[in-house]
Amino acid sequence: MASSSAASRDLQKELEAKANDLSKIQKDISKNHQVRKKYTIQLGENELVLKELDLLDDDANVYKLIGPVLVKQDMAEANANVRKRIEYISAELKRLDSTLRDLEEKQNSKKEAIFKVQQRIQSLQAGKDKA
Amino acid sequence: MGDHVKGTVTSLSSVFAPEDAQKASVRVQEAISERQKEVQQLQAFLNDNASLVNLVKKLPDQLHHDIMVPFGKAAFFPGRLIHTNEFMVLLGEGYYAERTSKQTVEILKRRGKDLDSQIETLNAVIKDLKFEASFFDETATEAAEGIVEIREEYDEEASNEDKATPAVMRKDSTHRLSRPPICDDDFAHILSRIDELEKEELEAEIAEEAEGKEEADISRLISSMAIEPEVSNSKLKESPDIPVSKDSPIKVPTPSGSNTNVRLVEHNKLKESLPCTPAPSNVVEVPTIASNSGNDSSRTGVSAPASKEVSNYGSGSSNDRSKAFTGSIVEHTHNNENNQKGQTPAPASRPVSRFKMQRK
Repeated sequence: MASSSAASRDLQKELEAKANDLSKIQKDISKNHQVRKKYTIQLGENELVLKELDLLDDDANVYKLIGPVLVKQDMAEANANVRKRIEYISAELKRLDSTLRDLEEKQNSKKEAIFKVQQRIQSLQAGKDKA
Repeated sequence: MGDHVKGTVTSLSSVFAPEDAQKASVRVQEAISERQKEVQQLQAFLNDNASLVNLVKKLPDQLHHDIMVPFGKAAFFPGRLIHTNEFMVLLGEGYYAERTSKQTVEILKRRGKDLDSQIETLNAVIKDLKFEASFFDETATEAAEGIVEIREEYDEEASNEDKATPAVMRKDSTHRLSRPPICDDDFAHILSRIDELEKEELEAEIAEEAEGKEEADISRLISSMAIEPEVSNSKLKESPDIPVSKDSPIKVPTPSGSNTNVRLVEHNKLKESLPCTPAPSNVVEVPTIASNSGNDSSRTGVSAPASKEVSNYGSGSSNDRSKAFTGSIVEHTHNNENNQKGQTPAPASRPVSRFKMQRK
């Protein structure tokens, strides 16, 4: 009896540790989601800008707000800058995707492990009840 | 009763505690209100955009406008707008372009369209979430009512054996009940419980007969019954001899007496609703077919593949009690799925079980 209660205490501890790990992973995931949201919004904005730039006449005046001042920019230059920015954001999003997938895998395996521990605790308790 | 078949009876409330389901529902509600706020914000943007379009259209009507120019936070001074057809439009990301009024209006209209589509997608998301929320509520009430879930591995061989060696058989004037395959201990316990409840129910039923029914609850249950998936014919053919019972939904209520009336009504209603489901043609050896609805329950009973099922205990003659007990399973497909992804992760490793309820 004593040994079984000790075992169940060990299992409880294990469960707690695993639960902590899991919550850490989940925190990472939610952080990842936030960053991704930010980038997605930026991507949308940049695409909008690109669309509008494409619609502008070639001789239109385009300015970029740098700090407090508007700096006149070449159309071609502005276009290239926006494209580059979009490329960068897409790459970043891809990177975030892959890390997210990693994290989710980790999360699932942790969940499974937790479930196993829970089952062991349950079976232990069931055994105790019978005894 | 076949010892070779293992099955479990879990009360729904132990798998999804009512409080948990409630919590999940609350969380979904929060998500919904969040989305609604977003929609409102977007709507406000859209309105701003529309009024801006109007203003931009109007400005070039005159060569100049006398205005009050804001100066700091609190002060204004009189000024005059000239160049009324030249706009510096922010394209986003710090890019500005010089545009005429007409061109500006075009840009603004394109933006308005974008906002519209965003609102549309958000509304779709809200619809989904609302559906989810209603499901969680349903689960919560079902768990609170004490519905149990009966799971059993589907084993073709076993079921064949069963028909070869028919065990105790039971009939009763209206319902034939078969024992759900469950562990003996549990089973004995449940059986005794059912005895009590059956008696209670019988009494209550008589009293109930005259009373008005609680339609809302019932219709909810009925609708959940309607979700049960069609059973593939092949399955039925494989085990054609499994006897069926009339009232598939067996509800084993929790002891709380206050629920009794409601449950009874549901039980009755369920029986009525059953005949609407298509009856499989190949039902064999139903010793006492109580009514044509027997076929229907065979469908549900035999093959509904797992999940939360409603069980009603047979309300029939109480003297049959010791043997009369039908477990059968009703599937709530979407419920199950949602549950697993939605809230307390249902143990994923649990095998999809099949039931065949009727072994006698």
